[in-house]
Amino acid sequence: MSAAWAMVRHRFASFAGTFVAVVLGVAVLAGSASLYLSSQPQAPARYDAAPILIQPAMAGTNDYGEEERPAWPASEATGLANRLATLPGVAAAVPDPVFYVQRLSGGKATGDPEAARADGHAWSSARLGGYRLTAGRAPESRDEVALSGADPGTRIEVLTASGPETWTVSGTVDGPGFYLADSEALRRAPGVPVIGLTVSGDEARVADAARALIGPAGTVRTGAERDLLEANHVTRIRWIGAQLLIALVTLSAFATVFVVSSTCALSAAQRRRELGLLRAVGATPGQVRRQMYAETTLIALLGGLVGAPLGAAAAPLLAGPMVDTGLEPAGFTVTWQPAAVFGAALLGVLVALCGVAVAARRASRVPPLDALREAAVDPRAMTRSRWVLGVLGAVAGAGLLAAMPSLPVSAQSSAGLGAAMLLITAATLLSPVLIVPLVRVVAWPVRHTATGQLVREGTLTGVRRVAATAAPVLATVGITVLLTGTIATIEEAAGIDAAAEFSTGSLLVPDGTPGLSAAAVAAQPGESRLETRVLITHQDGITGFEAAGVAGSGSGAVLRDDTATELGARAGSTLTVRWADGTTSETRVRAVDPDAQATVVFPAELVRAHDPQALTAMVLLDGEPTAAPGARAMPVGDFVREEIGEEGQLVDLFLWALIGLTAGYTGIAVGNTLLMATAARRSEFRALRLAGAGTGQVLRVVSAESLLAVAVGAVLGGTVAGISLLGVRASVESELDHSIALVIPWGAGLAVTAGCVAVAVVAAAVPVLRRR
Amino acid sequence: MTNRATAAVELQAVTRRYGTGESAVTALDRVDARFEPGSFTAVMGPSGSGKSTLLHCAAGLDRADAGRVVIDGVPLDGLSERNLTRLRRTRVGFVFQSFNLIPALTAAQNVALPLRLAGRRPAAGEVSSVLAEVGLGDRAGHRPSELSGGQQQRVAIARALVTRPAVLFADEPTGALDATSGKEVLRLLRTAVDRHGQTIVMVTHDPLAAAHADRVLFLADGRVVDELTGPVDAELVAVHTARLEAARTVGA
Repeated sequence: MSAAWAMVRHRFASFAGTFVAVVLGVAVLAGSASLYLSSQPQAPARYDAAPILIQPAMAGTNDYGEEERPAWPASEATGLANRLATLPGVAAAVPDPVFYVQRLSGGKATGDPEAARADGHAWSSARLGGYRLTAGRAPESRDEVALSGADPGTRIEVLTASGPETWTVSGTVDGPGFYLADSEALRRAPGVPVIGLTVSGDEARVADAARALIGPAGTVRTGAERDLLEANHVTRIRWIGAQLLIALVTLSAFATVFVVSSTCALSAAQRRRELGLLRAVGATPGQVRRQMYAETTLIALLGGLVGAPLGAAAAPLLAGPMVDTGLEPAGFTVTWQPAAVFGAALLGVLVALCGVAVAARRASRVPPLDALREAAVDPRAMTRSRWVLGVLGAVAGAGLLAAMPSLPVSAQSSAGLGAAMLLITAATLLSPVLIVPLVRVVAWPVRHTATGQLVREGTLTGVRRVAATAAPVLATVGITVLLTGTIATIEEAAGIDAAAEFSTGSLLVPDGTPGLSAAAVAAQPGESRLETRVLITHQDGITGFEAAGVAGSGSGAVLRDDTATELGARAGSTLTVRWADGTTSETRVRAVDPDAQATVVFPAELVRAHDPQALTAMVLLDGEPTAAPGARAMPVGDFVREEIGEEGQLVDLFLWALIGLTAGYTGIAVGNTLLMATAARRSEFRALRLAGAGTGQVLRVVSAESLLAVAVGAVLGGTVAGISLLGVRASVESELDHSIALVIPWGAGLAVTAGCVAVAVVAAAVPVLRRR
Repeated sequence: MTNRATAAVELQAVTRRYGTGESAVTALDRVDARFEPGSFTAVMGPSGSGKSTLLHCAAGLDRADAGRVVIDGVPLDGLSERNLTRLRRTRVGFVFQSFNLIPALTAAQNVALPLRLAGRRPAAGEVSSVLAEVGLGDRAGHRPSELSGGQQQRVAIARALVTRPAVLFADEPTGALDATSGKEVLRLLRTAVDRHGQTIVMVTHDPLAAAHADRVLFLADGRVVDELTGPVDAELVAVHTARLEAARTVGA
């Protein structure tokens, strides 16, 4: 280890690439993991004073494998709460019905629409959060409300599932939410999803007693388990954020391995003589290998020492932007995560060791006689494994592209990406072969000038060096062009596709609300559907469905064909349906229709009767719309563009985060390769100067060489991505049955290339200028 | 370990060819040679005569195509790369023309390297006494870049001697040095033979260097063609060399 330390200290320059790559990798890892671990599910703050929460029993699962817990009907919940309240140690047992309320301000709905779905509560549930009145009294009559930020006696405008309402403030509360009289809240909510207990005695003993009393009718949650009651929309936001973090971590781990392995391969090639000498004075191949592992471990530890605190320090700064972009829920804060920081540093070492493995194996096979050979012949650039893997990759990638239109639609996008990755890898492996003819063509016009000749010959004899520079450029330009091009092409196609789906010209859609209220829909001419969730019993168990209520659709249920297959039902069968309010009823299947508007369609009145909180997603207008709070009318095309735009923003955010990270690693790889390669060629440049070349001329040769290498990488990467994009377009076209335009992202490709050029020129010039 | 019947190094009909087919070159052609313990042998010959190849094969740096090399009683054929390395580490020392010190390590660390590679911690004073022997007791903490060529070569000799090897191979050890430093290095090698009974095999093309040896082997076209024993002087060596050159020119 001490020899490794001496080596690292002495030739830090040749370890710089590994060091920087590990610093960046560990920083991304530590930062992302800190954010990820900080983003834990948390019980809503309004249960802060309730150490014991009780949920209804699990009835089944939905398509995503999530638990379905149908609410208790109001009467059942009240009965349960009354019995729970008699248990010793229970201070209060409170049913917690929730419903949708949004404050109207100047006819416009305010606040977060998704959070508003659960902003209405019963007054008695305020104590579950430890909230108290600071003025006035509790709400008693139908239109009285207690809330924060309003004085008793004020009248406020709100929007609920039934429509706009005016309430009188009876009291001011020191916590968030709208609190109505208990009976009123129970009437509005479709059921009771939670009963909360405040306790005066021993928590564990009370929980056990509650479990015994409830039996199979419910699940008692205490301690960390309470956090399972996190609101769905919060869970979804955290899930999206987690996807980005996972993608970043995976990408940076792979990129670090890639950069470390290419850096180590180059430095091992440059140190061939030194390694041979070690072998000659008595180092076994194993000792040489261990020496390289030890050096890399040291460098990676140093890199982790710098990178881990950097990432941990950066994470809190990212919390704000992540909340703003909808990747973390409001109020998200980053906490100190020792596991993330130390884990990242440790993983950095592991990742670096993976990177050095191949180079170390090759280095250990250096024969001791190499210590005695002076000539630095560029070893053969193409090894047999490079040929085999490169050709295999190219064949597999091309085959996958050709087969894509015949694959199932769901597999196509991953097949396209997979094919592109295969082709990019193949191009990287085969690049030494492709470089020679490519350089001959590119350098043809300048073959008679001194610089042109030097650049051409320098490049053709140093194919390995050029390939090492071109490879990361190839990968980055390829990935950038492919990803941005695929998304642009699909967005273009999706716009056409979505606009074609709607028959009428205009829509009434929610405006800052989670859905349209009953009043807003009733005033409009046109077709609409009321959205609710139901649980349907079938022979394999109970499954949850997104159902729709449609006006004037006749009695009974209409099933879409795939739903019918899943339920084993057909026209005339009887369904056992459990509704949002917790009641169960039998419904006859009227028809099975492949074109049904939802998986299950019921008459609108039936849905409304069982789910007073059901909202309408949109109305297809067939006349002039009437203005209503929380609703706006717009042409179909505008709406589709808006939806795609919103989705596109999120996609773009992911895209640029990933491309930015890839480009960063490319910068490190290109910069480091050129820095090391140019530094190692100092004697060559000295000879050039002795032959009469000025510093300017040497610089020109070096810059032109690195430019050439970047150009080769960019051309290869662009070509491979272009081929893959053609494949992607072909499969989208065959799916849509009409031709679409191929969008080639010239801007993104050129921007990434320009960045690589800048890094390459600087990295090649620095060693020339530094030591005259 | 070493008895009278065991040579420090013995080559038995060693053949080494480079390349294949038409372009094949026979660098060593069934060479027999024996180097007794405590002897100092110079190997001479025109360039391309195979003297470096002989050294590499004898030292186990290169493998013979046919024949057999025995170092200190251990035949090299059939040894794995690892065991061969271990043998080199304990029984063989090297001095190269271009010093070949590790630039990252100090003089003392370079000298201690073979011991450390063998997993052994140098005993107190072990390294410094060897450095003192080559006259560099005060340079232990210097890196190669801070030493002159002659000093670097003396560090290399110290590194080769520190394991007390059965044989020390030197490949043109004075080739890159000026006359004074060269003489100093040769004197050191001679002292090692006289004082510690060190076996040395030295490849050189310099008759003055060869004059420090007890025996001179002459190589031409991959074969041992002549041998001088007993106290050799530079003039005699030069005469032999000239005669061989002449014979070669006539033969060609």
